[in-house]
Amino acid sequence: MENKYSKKEKVQRREEVDVFRMNNYYKNIRTLKKIASHLVLILFALFAVFPIYYVVITSLNSIGSLSASSLADLLPNTKMTLVNYSQIIFQHPFFIWLRNTLILTVASTFIGVMLSITSGLAMSRLNVPAKRMLLYMLLILSLFPFTMMVIPFYFMFSNFHLLNTYLGLIIPYSAGAVIYSTYLIKNYVDGLPTSYEEAAQMDGLSKAGALFRILVPMARPVIVFAAVLAFMGPYTDYALAGQFISSPSLYTLAIGMYYVSQGSITMNYGTYAAFSVLMGIPIFILFFVFQKYLVSGFSLSMYK
Amino acid sequence: MTERAMPIKNNNRRIDFKSLLWILPVLIVLAFLDFYPILEGIYFSLTDFNQFHFFNYGFVGFANYSYIFGSPELRTVIANTLVWSVGSTVVMVPAGFMLALIMNQKNLRGKYIYRSLYLFPWAFPAFLTILVWSNMLAYNGGVVNDLLGLVGISSIAWLTSPTYAMFSIIFVNFWLSFPYYTFVYTSAVQSIPNELYEAAEMDGYGSLRTLTRVTLPLLKRQVAFITIFGFIFTWNNFYVPFLLTGGGPGISTQILITYSYLEAFSYSNYALGAAYAIISILILLVFVIVTNHYTKMMSILY
Repeated sequence: MENKYSKKEKVQRREEVDVFRMNNYYKNIRTLKKIASHLVLILFALFAVFPIYYVVITSLNSIGSLSASSLADLLPNTKMTLVNYSQIIFQHPFFIWLRNTLILTVASTFIGVMLSITSGLAMSRLNVPAKRMLLYMLLILSLFPFTMMVIPFYFMFSNFHLLNTYLGLIIPYSAGAVIYSTYLIKNYVDGLPTSYEEAAQMDGLSKAGALFRILVPMARPVIVFAAVLAFMGPYTDYALAGQFISSPSLYTLAIGMYYVSQGSITMNYGTYAAFSVLMGIPIFILFFVFQKYLVSGFSLSMYK
Repeated sequence: MTERAMPIKNNNRRIDFKSLLWILPVLIVLAFLDFYPILEGIYFSLTDFNQFHFFNYGFVGFANYSYIFGSPELRTVIANTLVWSVGSTVVMVPAGFMLALIMNQKNLRGKYIYRSLYLFPWAFPAFLTILVWSNMLAYNGGVVNDLLGLVGISSIAWLTSPTYAMFSIIFVNFWLSFPYYTFVYTSAVQSIPNELYEAAEMDGYGSLRTLTRVTLPLLKRQVAFITIFGFIFTWNNFYVPFLLTGGGPGISTQILITYSYLEAFSYSNYALGAAYAIISILILLVFVIVTNHYTKMMSILY
């Protein structure tokens, strides 16, 4: 019996058992890892979504005040109502505020991104004089907090009679987007191969034509990414708009929100929540529509 | 700009002055909307510009700075700024990295659903969600205290006690910013070619060894860059402390930028506000130079 298997076969057999055990061990580890991964991901997902759920459900309640709210209001119930929404839409010039905000944000995003595309392409592909110094300078400028700019801006813009105008806000908003967007676009374009534009130049396109026609479509993810980020800032800006805009017909959503919330947090908590939801929806849609660009758009070229 | 391209090889190293035309609009914007206001701000910090000297302010040298360095608030505010920036960075950046790594696993189901859910805090304007959090953290009727009440923990003054206020603003900032870092790191992790992971797997590397021997070494500079810029962004992040606690109670959550804003706009002491902003910038500048010396992260930029 003992000699049923040769020594060689025994070794082989033992190895097979070992491999089997190892595979089992790895399978268990893998299952455990998967469970742990999902657990972590679910916890973070709940954490991420809860405040948004909370504000949506609050906006549908007719709670008088914050201290009158209870945990029972957090679940969908029969007392839900759209009265808060109708109040905002019919008692406040919500759509005028929305229009003002959209004019400012769309214009400044467009201008800011256009400028960033040309400068980003140039910084990546052309031999700009003192390029390294310019990049350092842009970086240092991004250290400066806006609080320092507000007062000089205020004087400068009042000298040019730009206070209480759209243009007076569009200019600083576009400028605010330019620095970071130029960086993003430059970095992304650095990672693109040069062969396409070289081929286009061989075919007779000018350098500028080649860069714009070939690289802009290729850089679409980062351009969308930069545009979404550029849109976000002005959309919710209060610090600058609050100082520059005093006539109610030019109020933006952020100023309107501040104005409404002055009275309504104590008076009607739900109105304030409904305002947040209404104001949040456009940005929310923008983010979800362009979700895939948010991952592919951010690139810091690797092999350098 | 419309000139036909020179043969590409010869053109490579020569400095191209025409390219200045491409960045001219940006240079103009920088000159008028960055340099000019910054220089004016620096000048303001050397004057007695405040509500009493609104039209006839004059040069006072370094009086504002010597006043600030003599005031007991400066140390507290700088310490607060450090706690706030370091505290935020050390939780949000690793959390984003961890989530990106977890979601980057092969054969993980539902990763796109998770990613969409993580978009929520980022996709909702921070201006609004900070106010939502300030209601959720309210002492009376705030949902956080209500929920803690269910497990028998008595109400905590999250935003109004010096013990918890700093913790609370960092916590809310964590909620606001971890999605951004998750997305940025997802993008960085995905830029590593799959073959490297496959090779690591062939060599029998486990997850931890793959992380320390493949992922981290390849992403060293990216991690440094993202962390350092996360730190700088947090340092200058105005809205979270301003809207949640307004710097209070007392000055226990005042950071340099909110304190600068407070001096300038609540006390109408514009010169002092500008001086605080400049102190903040100088500290950041030293920080950037020192960290860049060690990590060489700026080489990503050119």
